Amino acid sequence: MTEKNVLQISNFNVDFWVDGVWYPAVIDMNLGLAAGKVTAIVGESGSGKSTTALGLMSLLASNARMAGSVVVKGEEMLNAKSAVLREFRGKEVAYIFQEPMTALNPLFTIGYQIVETLRNHFDMGPKEAHARALELITMVDIPDPELSILKYPHQLSGGQRQRAMIAQALACDPALLVADEPTTALDVTVQAEILDLMRGLKDKLNSAILLITHDMGVVADMADEILVMKDGITVEKGTADQIFNKPQHPYTQQLLGAVPMLGSTKKRALPYKEDAKPAPVLKLTDVTIEYPKRGRQPAFTAVKNFNLEIYPGEIVGLVGESGSGKTTVGRASIGLLPIKEGSLEIVGKDISHATQKELFAIRRHTGIVFQDPASSLNPRLPIGESIGEPLFLAGLAKGAELAHKVEELLDQVELPRSYRNRYPHELSGGQRQRVGIARALALTPDLLIADEPTSALDVSVQARFLDLLQELQVKLNFACLFISHDLAVVDILCHRIAVMQNGLLVEVGDRDQILKNPKNDYTKRLISAVPVPDPAEQRIRREARLALKK
Amino acid sequence: MKLFGRKEISTGEILAGGENAIANKEVEGLSQGQIVRRRFFHHRAAVIALVSFASIILFVMTSLDSKMGPIRIPGWWQWTVEDIPELRYEDCPGGTTGCPTISLDPTSDAFGLGTHPFGQDDIGRDYFALVMNGARRSLMIMFVIGAVAGFIGVVVGSISGFYGKKVDAVLMRLVDFIQTVPTIIIAAVIGKAAGKVGPLYLALFLGILGWTGLARLVRAQFLSLREMEFVDAARVAGASNLRITFKHILPNAVGQIIVVITLIMAGAILTETALSYLGFGVVAPDVSLGLLISQYESSFTTRPWLFWWPGFFIISIALCVNFIGDGLRDAFDPRQRRRITKKDREQAKLQVKAGE
Amino acid sequence: MLNYILRRIGVSVMILFGSSFLVYNLAAYASDPLAELRLSTDDGARQQIISLTRSLNLDTPPPLRYFLWLKGVLGIFVGKLNMGVTREGSTVQEEHAYAIPVTVRLVFAATVTALLFGLALGIISALRQYSRFDYGMTFLAFLLYSLPIFWVAVLLKEFMAIQFNNFLSEPNIPIRWMIIFSIFTGIFWSSLFGGERKRFWSVFGGAFATSYVTLWAIDLTDWYLNPGLGPILIAFLSVGIAFGVTAISTGLSNASAKKAALTMAGLAIAWYYPAQWIFNNFGSYFTIFILISMIVLTGLGLSRVYSKIDRRPIARTAIITGILSGFLILVDRIMQSWDDYRATDAVNGRPVPTYGQRKDQLVTEDFWLNNLDIIMHLILPTLALILISLASWIRFTRGALLEVLNQDYIRTARAKGLNERVVVTRHAFRNMMLPLSSLFVGEFVGLVGGAVITERVFGWQGMGTLGIKAINSYDLNLLMGVNLLLSILVISGNLIADLVYSALDPRIRLGK
Repeated sequence: MTEKNVLQISNFNVDFWVDGVWYPAVIDMNLGLAAGKVTAIVGESGSGKSTTALGLMSLLASNARMAGSVVVKGEEMLNAKSAVLREFRGKEVAYIFQEPMTALNPLFTIGYQIVETLRNHFDMGPKEAHARALELITMVDIPDPELSILKYPHQLSGGQRQRAMIAQALACDPALLVADEPTTALDVTVQAEILDLMRGLKDKLNSAILLITHDMGVVADMADEILVMKDGITVEKGTADQIFNKPQHPYTQQLLGAVPMLGSTKKRALPYKEDAKPAPVLKLTDVTIEYPKRGRQPAFTAVKNFNLEIYPGEIVGLVGESGSGKTTVGRASIGLLPIKEGSLEIVGKDISHATQKELFAIRRHTGIVFQDPASSLNPRLPIGESIGEPLFLAGLAKGAELAHKVEELLDQVELPRSYRNRYPHELSGGQRQRVGIARALALTPDLLIADEPTSALDVSVQARFLDLLQELQVKLNFACLFISHDLAVVDILCHRIAVMQNGLLVEVGDRDQILKNPKNDYTKRLISAVPVPDPAEQRIRREARLALKK
Repeated sequence: MKLFGRKEISTGEILAGGENAIANKEVEGLSQGQIVRRRFFHHRAAVIALVSFASIILFVMTSLDSKMGPIRIPGWWQWTVEDIPELRYEDCPGGTTGCPTISLDPTSDAFGLGTHPFGQDDIGRDYFALVMNGARRSLMIMFVIGAVAGFIGVVVGSISGFYGKKVDAVLMRLVDFIQTVPTIIIAAVIGKAAGKVGPLYLALFLGILGWTGLARLVRAQFLSLREMEFVDAARVAGASNLRITFKHILPNAVGQIIVVITLIMAGAILTETALSYLGFGVVAPDVSLGLLISQYESSFTTRPWLFWWPGFFIISIALCVNFIGDGLRDAFDPRQRRRITKKDREQAKLQVKAGE
Repeated sequence: MLNYILRRIGVSVMILFGSSFLVYNLAAYASDPLAELRLSTDDGARQQIISLTRSLNLDTPPPLRYFLWLKGVLGIFVGKLNMGVTREGSTVQEEHAYAIPVTVRLVFAATVTALLFGLALGIISALRQYSRFDYGMTFLAFLLYSLPIFWVAVLLKEFMAIQFNNFLSEPNIPIRWMIIFSIFTGIFWSSLFGGERKRFWSVFGGAFATSYVTLWAIDLTDWYLNPGLGPILIAFLSVGIAFGVTAISTGLSNASAKKAALTMAGLAIAWYYPAQWIFNNFGSYFTIFILISMIVLTGLGLSRVYSKIDRRPIARTAIITGILSGFLILVDRIMQSWDDYRATDAVNGRPVPTYGQRKDQLVTEDFWLNNLDIIMHLILPTLALILISLASWIRFTRGALLEVLNQDYIRTARAKGLNERVVVTRHAFRNMMLPLSSLFVGEFVGLVGGAVITERVFGWQGMGTLGIKAINSYDLNLLMGVNLLLSILVISGNLIADLVYSALDPRIRLGK
């Protein structure tokens, strides 16, 4: 902690005033950041990391109280006069937000928003500012800078929007960049590019970066120093090497243990013989799925010529980025979407032309777990009713017998029986996902479809969830189509992996074969873009990836 | 840390769940309905409005005789609408007749309600009875319109939102169509014809005209709720369309629906009285608050009581319903943050000072 | 874009056909124009029945009669519009020619004023959320929502017209009114600006004192008999306007804008006396138009003088200052005619009218007297309509602005170092306007309905009165005329609102 640090936080405390009580959000934080260095603050949701970031810029809600000292380039920013704050914000300290779609004003072009920052801090004329904005847009590698500068945020892709956000942040050459989960909302390949960009810019401009994230892979890729936070307290602080290789605090150890790492799992045998395959539980043959014409929008082919078989007892991971069509395949496989061409068989019966009654009968062999714990359960029904609905509708149980079965199911997912009468809003995200599993397994299906079930969960919660899923799969021996964008999770869980891109099946094969020896270029790119939570390993991978690009 | 002696709650949970995490802890074990009720009763103005509204209804409905089929329930007021007692002229200012006998001056011997606290009309009928009668009409019409418009709006909106595509397109064109027709003209035409038949028919027709806003809202709710994952889950579990609509979607939309229906009702009473004022709603010899105002507007200068009392009732009823609607809206809104009042902030400042 | 408009118009025309057909048949079946005559024992009754049947084609069944009517209406495309004949024999067009401008004038004035005030109050309410002002505004909005318009109109007629006229004949403000009024003024301003105790009471005291002194001065000088702002007050106000506009438009730190605005104010003051001469000799709408153009040009010129690089905000500030100051001078001139107005026979000392759009007996060449007359007649009905519409605007604006202020991009704007004024006026404001345009249509339609009632209370011969007459006398053609025009009004309003929305929101490009 020297005088020359760009950012120096000392004894920083943030409390929130709610209903008559002060709740501490950040407790006694100390941090020093020098120019050209990256410090990452990691933690799960509720750890206080975003609060720290917003707090140092005094952007918190009006019921927050801050104490301590935040010195940027020698000046105290905490509780400073608003004139001083405005001088610093945007000029010496710039903030990059998580969701560029909502963080940029949709009614102004990105060029205007950058120019606005410039003209606010510097005495620049409109022409000069426009030229500088063009420079910045070119610097962040947005294609067609001349045209793009006049585009509105909704006309750009997610990655391009984030680049625009970065351009806006760098407009005044700030000494400190605060990046709050900058790549969480992006696809993994795009994320890799944005991280490369940020690293390049940091080196060029010698700015300091304070990186807020929950993704240990990103941390391993970028950070020089790491702070681990839990419930507002800094549990451990150290260099990247120290934290990753020699974590001291039990929480850090537990956190690192819960993070799935690509390529770390042992060999795994398929639950059947290659040459004596049993009848497939799910069989998609030459399937094309189309979203029909809506008003003026033309029909959109989401999935084309898709072939896949899933055999009893195995877990197949379906990976792809956003827009790849994987969710579409999942939903079609359970009959929620009609298929346009091809055939879809579940336990041998073709559902592509089934009647309602037939569909109803076939669906008893399937179950689905959804992604969003907030919307997967009816907020008006108690948990028990949601779980019991499939049983009730299938006519398999009623009344007391139904209640008994529901209790069994709750036991199976390791939730207390008393939760039967609770409502979704009383449960945490992880607990709700367990309820989702219980509901999906209510009819002891042959096929379970899991549509990104852990994407919305914290890392440690995710780890417990995956353990549970594995245990259940071994016990009940159902087949599972596990849809995810997270290759590391797929690595832990699946026997086989199928990769999709833009509606097409790009590659399918054994887990180890795909991850260690991918044949397809896209697969190679995808795998190389996934950051692993080990700095040394990540550096090697990064260099390999960059070599791949050339 | 403990919160009011209830379950422990960590700051992490607060930050993760926002300030609502605390609210959620407080409502452990409560169903949505109970939560809404609790939130509603925190809203002071709405509760006052609810109580007032209930009192007004009780007051108005019981004051005069009610006839339900063969049963006749006497009211507690001495005069009826048909009585024509003697027109009082003593003690009336400026030589007018039929002034109110109500006096709030404790010293005078006329203190109290007197025989005609609201005064009398031109021919001597007791004005209180007339106003009560008009108020009953208006209340009845208001509830009928609310029910009719509510029913049609919910049905049309649900079908439109649930089935989408062609059905939706057709129904929305219908909604556009009805919204384009200047409703006041149709209402007036129908009112003129129906007024002779009776206020019930007027109410039915106004209800048939007034459901469009509600339909749009219900449709929007259905469109968004239809995409929710729990609906998919129900479908996979084998739920029929009917079950999905009634068990899964409607209960989640019911909040907004009720709010809009109260707004429709508040608007209904204003529309009905306006139509009656113009002569197209409830017509003589029947009584309506709007009709009373139109009959006596020119005598406002000399006999203001003929003007004030009907207006007071219209405004009170509309105001109460509006506040109840607002309270319901706040109660149903899941994103409602606890209000950080200035008192809270000032207390916070004091805390900071005390801590230093 | 053109495609979209044409398509919309096409759809609207279909809707018009449908709705007019529906209304026609509904009205025709619901009423019998000859009912009264049939019952009459008068000699001429039979004759009338025959002639009316002929002129109104009452033999033909309504669905077919509709097409006769339609043919006449479509004649507009060949220059021969025929909307039928009323019961009295005049053509429907004739009746409407007088009525349309009346209603349009009323509704237009009310909509614009309600919008501006509602917007301002709603914005302030949102910015000062949970303050006393906010709660006060919310309660006021609820109260206004619940008022029946006809009741309000009659109340206005009584207190603002009749009582006020009585008051004018013996002008003397009693002390207790002055005190009560000053208290209310004090409360208003202090809840707007006041924060902690000390500031609250000092603002209250200041407002109370100013208001009381003003009222006392008014009473002493009998100002309402001979009102006018006077050059001194105008000078004072213009300078104030200059500062105010600059503060909102560019912030007081922008020296060029401040200088431009003050120059403009100075020019306005300098032009006061020349303006009087121009007004007295060349009073007309055209003159006003020329003067406005001159203000705009001057504003543009000043922006060139005071700024090299950033002209637009300077020009904007100067022009707005100029127009507002000019407006003051205009109001002053109109006020100067007050005394003459009162003295005319037609008015006879009771200047606030309760009936009609203008005093027909008032025959004058004086542009100002004429306009004063029109304005005086416009005030009360417009006020009645505004009160009803204001509530919606306040609540809606408040809600919309609060929602916008919670958005992420507002936080981004603050993180960029923009000051609060810019954040609100540039980022929040534009985003807030989007949902507001959808409210506009509903409010406009509501006002049209309200206008019908207001016309009846204040005796204006507008479309509303025609409509009522038509319904009461079972005059189908007249009714159809009113219905058609109102429908067209509503549909155009809808279309304009959609176009405005698409112009403001780049995410919606119509016709795609």
